[in-house]
Amino acid sequence: MVNKWEKVPKEDLEKDKVLRKSLTYWEDAWRRLKHNKLSMLGLVTIILIFMTAVFGPMLSKFSYEDQNLDFGNVPPRLEIYKVTDNEYIYVHAEYKALLVNEKGELQSLLKPSKNDMAKGQRTYDVAGREVVLDFSNAKKAKKNPGIKKFEVLIDGTTVDSHKKIWNKTYIFGTDAHGRDMFVRVLFGARISLLVALMATIVNFFVGIVYGGVSGYLGGRADSLMMRFIDLISTIPLLLYVILLMVIIEPGLKTIIVAMGFTYWVRMARIVRGQALSIKEHEYVLAAKTIGASSSRIIMRHIIPNAMGPIIVSLTMMIPSAIFTESFLSFIGLGVSAPQASWGTLASDALGGLRTYPYQLLFPSLAISITMLAFNFLGDGLRDALDPRLRK
Amino acid sequence: MGKFIIKRFIQMFITLYLVVTATFFLMHAIPGGPFTREKPLPPAVIAALEAKFKLDQPLYVQYFDYMKGVFTFDFGPSFQKVGVDVTDLILKGLPASAKVGGTAVVLVLIVGIPLGMISALKRNKWQDYVVTFIATLGVTIPSFVVATLIIYVFSAKLGVLPAFGLKTWKHYIGPVLALGGFSLAFVARLTRSSMLEVLQQDYIRTARAKGLSEFVVIGKHALKNALIPVVTYVGPMIASILTGSFVIEKIFAIPGMGKYFVESVGNRDYTVIIGVTVFYAAFYIIMVFLVDIIYCLIDPRIKLED
Repeated sequence: MVNKWEKVPKEDLEKDKVLRKSLTYWEDAWRRLKHNKLSMLGLVTIILIFMTAVFGPMLSKFSYEDQNLDFGNVPPRLEIYKVTDNEYIYVHAEYKALLVNEKGELQSLLKPSKNDMAKGQRTYDVAGREVVLDFSNAKKAKKNPGIKKFEVLIDGTTVDSHKKIWNKTYIFGTDAHGRDMFVRVLFGARISLLVALMATIVNFFVGIVYGGVSGYLGGRADSLMMRFIDLISTIPLLLYVILLMVIIEPGLKTIIVAMGFTYWVRMARIVRGQALSIKEHEYVLAAKTIGASSSRIIMRHIIPNAMGPIIVSLTMMIPSAIFTESFLSFIGLGVSAPQASWGTLASDALGGLRTYPYQLLFPSLAISITMLAFNFLGDGLRDALDPRLRK
Repeated sequence: MGKFIIKRFIQMFITLYLVVTATFFLMHAIPGGPFTREKPLPPAVIAALEAKFKLDQPLYVQYFDYMKGVFTFDFGPSFQKVGVDVTDLILKGLPASAKVGGTAVVLVLIVGIPLGMISALKRNKWQDYVVTFIATLGVTIPSFVVATLIIYVFSAKLGVLPAFGLKTWKHYIGPVLALGGFSLAFVARLTRSSMLEVLQQDYIRTARAKGLSEFVVIGKHALKNALIPVVTYVGPMIASILTGSFVIEKIFAIPGMGKYFVESVGNRDYTVIIGVTVFYAAFYIIMVFLVDIIYCLIDPRIKLED
């Protein structure tokens, strides 16, 4: 016979105690997010991009508008020819010779002492030695890849390239006007992030409030407000933005204004859907019974409780805003020169794509990495914040 | 059903009307007028030009004229290209755009959906990872980057694809891939997630328990239901392919509507911009209307009266 009334030892009781503090919604979401490696990678990347965009241009010795026409279209990787121990030359794709040192710092553009275009030869005088740049085969080389485009002759003998080095002066190379691509890409990051920030603000202040009010009020006001949204969204938003941009002067300010007019629509829809269900909860009723005003209920109860879906859709909307900006810049409606955004940089690179592909590579990589980071973060946030996915 | 279609039809017309009105007044709100040049034209020339384009008449007369024009598919003359009507430009560009855009839509549907299905059915296997990887890349890389990469790699370096124009089937590969890339990736992702959800439903278990072959279970029971969110996306997909064509046609030098649109944006040819915008908007609205009807037909859960 088992004694049903046996005394339980104290240690066993201790075991059942809840020692850990219970987690709030946000703590729990953060805990989940931390387990998602891709999302954390995305988050870290976004923070890094922010930091480099803000502080990067300060560290560089060039500014985004500094031109040096002598060093136009210089790639990040240089194939150099040795003349003396300290003097090397790099042959530019336009058959100009640049003086470089062994570390890869650009010195100067060499002036030819003889420029024989008919023979396809340029002669330079480097440290007392005669350097001949022979590009008479350039046309043939276009058709036949086996032929070298040019040859370098020092004191009459053909020399092979010494080695390939990285460009230390301009680590991402330069554009056609000799502006530093590195600083310009970072400057483009500033513009993209500014657009992202503004899109966020507009979404917050217009979209969320509009959706919250519409969903909370319900009835006729709701259907009227939603018809208005339907009207706006029956047309691709990009079309609106382009139309607005044509009418008001193109530029960063107008991109933000034009996007502000149109890009809150999706957010308003999401918040309205949330508000419709949240307003049926007991705590809203309780707030009403103690006499809280509608605006207080919307601001203090409905919107904070809809924050999960809001943040998730925000991380999805930010890349779309960045994309729109680069798209507009690409078709020539974005920021104007000498300012640069990733879209204008990619667009500028298009003309010289065959010869200077690096000019497209860096802005494209920057856009893609940023979009990828936001996408990863958004996916992770959705998993972390969506209560339906909880097990 | 009939009631719903009529209601949507009326709604469509109201929207179209508002779009035309809004764009018309936006065009006339531009400061400076269409004949402002850096070197001012003589007043007599401006007066003659305004009389020619009927800009000297009161705004409401111009408005009704324009409205009438739109309903008879006449968007007036181009301000920059002498003697060219906007309608002519649209009709000239439409075939090329429609061919590339249509091919892109077909590609998206016949490649995107199977990719998403494979990914869902082989969840957490290598096929799934490959598809997810491609889909993520497709969603994150902008179309103009894809287009320039295709030109650089396949036309400039390897020389296997032509870089511009639209003559043989080979010319289509680049533009169609660049144009449909985003939508293809998105459709694959959408199909995957909705397929995964459907596969967990009770009716799939029932179908399997009945001893149906896997082919019937997937093809008849799962796919049909999994495609509902995909159909919803077709509307936005048309939008993304439409607006995507602005850039793609410019990069690949395809003489389509998008190229004319970008060109007119560049030289501020207002009537062309407005005309093409109205045309795009009308096309898009009609497409969304059709998608809505198809959507209601395939999903019996949606109440048509609503």
